[in-house]
Amino acid sequence: MVDLKQNLNRLGPVFGLLLVIGVFSLLVDTPGRLLSPNNLRIVLSQTVIVAIGAIGMTLIIISGGIDLAVGSTIALTGVVTALAINAGFPPSIALLSGILVGGFVGVINGLVITRLKVVPFIATLGMLGVARGVAKWLANQQTVNMPGTWLNELLVMFPKPSWLLVAPGVWIAIILAVCAAIVLRNTVFGRRVFALGSNEAAARACGIATDRLKIWIYGIAGLLFGLAGVMQMSRLRQGDPTVAAGSELDIIAAVVIGGGSLSGGEGSIWGSMIGALIMAFLRNGCQQVGWPNYIQEIIIGAIIVVAVAIDRWRSRS
Amino acid sequence: MRKLLLLLLVLTFAIACTPKGGPSTNNAKKKLTIAVIPKGTTHEFWKSIHAGSNKAASELTAQGTEVEVIWKGPLREDDREQQIQVVEGFAAQGVSGIVLAPLDNRALVRPVADADRAGVPTVIIDSGLESDEFVSFVATDNRKGGTLAADRMGQLLNGKGKVLVLRYAEGSASTTEREEGFITQLKAKFPEIEIVSMDQYAGATRDTAKRASENLLNRFGDVVQGIFTPNESSTAGMLLALQDIGKAGKVSFVGFDSSQTFIDAINANQLHGIVVQNPFNMGYLGVRTMVDSLLGKPVEKKIDTGVMLVTKENLQSPEVNALLHPPLDQYLK
Repeated sequence: MVDLKQNLNRLGPVFGLLLVIGVFSLLVDTPGRLLSPNNLRIVLSQTVIVAIGAIGMTLIIISGGIDLAVGSTIALTGVVTALAINAGFPPSIALLSGILVGGFVGVINGLVITRLKVVPFIATLGMLGVARGVAKWLANQQTVNMPGTWLNELLVMFPKPSWLLVAPGVWIAIILAVCAAIVLRNTVFGRRVFALGSNEAAARACGIATDRLKIWIYGIAGLLFGLAGVMQMSRLRQGDPTVAAGSELDIIAAVVIGGGSLSGGEGSIWGSMIGALIMAFLRNGCQQVGWPNYIQEIIIGAIIVVAVAIDRWRSRS
Repeated sequence: MRKLLLLLLVLTFAIACTPKGGPSTNNAKKKLTIAVIPKGTTHEFWKSIHAGSNKAASELTAQGTEVEVIWKGPLREDDREQQIQVVEGFAAQGVSGIVLAPLDNRALVRPVADADRAGVPTVIIDSGLESDEFVSFVATDNRKGGTLAADRMGQLLNGKGKVLVLRYAEGSASTTEREEGFITQLKAKFPEIEIVSMDQYAGATRDTAKRASENLLNRFGDVVQGIFTPNESSTAGMLLALQDIGKAGKVSFVGFDSSQTFIDAINANQLHGIVVQNPFNMGYLGVRTMVDSLLGKPVEKKIDTGVMLVTKENLQSPEVNALLHPPLDQYLK
């Protein structure tokens, strides 16, 4: 019985995804269009930023926390990467600096949460403003344009070399997701994250240094948000301090649709990736069918509420 | 299972309340679908562009080339990433062509190039794109707009006096061209007019523009006879500042863009001319150009959609009336 329920939990989001794809395939007038190679390339590229963010967010949500500063962190790290390229650093160093700044923001979140005893919602709500402000400050309130480098090719529709089939960024996201899933399931660190989210007091009583663990979790998630920021910069080919406002909600929604529980202790990388794909296909499908924007917003909003309602129902029974 | 049922329910609901009328390309193979992508959807300016595109579509359809316009802005207004997603979606959908007002002259370069590679050409309207992978650039000739304003200023001042220019914002291409057009023409045609200040910026909003105007007027208010501002917010801010210190109507003031406030100010002799763009024509010519190109006709790489000087004298003329009040209701059902 338990096995069956677990499997259902795991497969639920997949059914959701298949349902979305199926419904929209029937609605578009050329049935193959939604699953045409070009459209798949586009949907996958569009999913990358939310997906990489959702890997980090899954860690945080399983541990019982939340991070509202993702969108701002993406903007900040994108700006930092663009500035680093402009300052003459090689692209690899610029990439690294973007990722590290993301990690730094995450560690600060972790420190504020553990040392100052501010709940994650408020701590990261504060960071949402701070990181956005710093991004605008560094960028001088404008977009930062930079010369073209290979970083710009991370999320192109037609990758070079063409045997990659999809953009390099998509492969990076897949590899990261697999690694994160293995770490969460099979390592001591991963089990501790679950323990922390299930029952913090019990975890502490078992000898887990919960404060230090939290700082690690927010720091690692921050590194991933930093990478998402570099991806965003790659898509825009500029550092834009105003980009990704509100994308924290997309990322949290992806985790929640994928079975993550906001009360902690539950969630999976696999589910979150499917959640991210569901939202990307919904957006793409609505456009292909020719529905106006407000229909997309209504559907996505409704699906988030439904997913959370199920989360509540599950944690009660 | 419950999750599935609920999802199904939500989707059925959404489908049920959707009005029928998506693009249906399967019944007529030769029908052209043109996606028109504005920067946002709520401003009057974009509504005029929408109406213009619809006019082009219905005209072309009446002439035997069936054209359908799909109007879709970014999900969040002024969000570059969202606009990119819209362009990518249409490229994958395989529309016949895209008419795009890019939110950024660089960020939209890649999606437009990708669309081109996927076989979907793009016409750029309103603002430039730093690329040459598009069919044509259909927009206001901003330099000409500045020139018109300079001619008006020279006429108002009888060719001599002191003038100040309040610029809009650093790095804004369209307004910089208006300012340069004004300054160049004024210097060339009216050498006795002196520009006492042209290095101050109004900033993005009406509020910042008003502050900048107050500072400028505080310094030069007693010596200038003429003022030029290059867009809606800077003109509005300057007008407010002039009204506050009671100088409105005592200096010759030429602005840019239109709004009801400006028309009232023209009637009250506080504003002596506004240069007005023609967004309706921009939407119209954007779609016409795209279709011409798709039908294999040669098109110009750059197309001017027209600017016009509006003053108290011509305010009531049918021409100006059509420009200030485009037939939105007729073309936006």
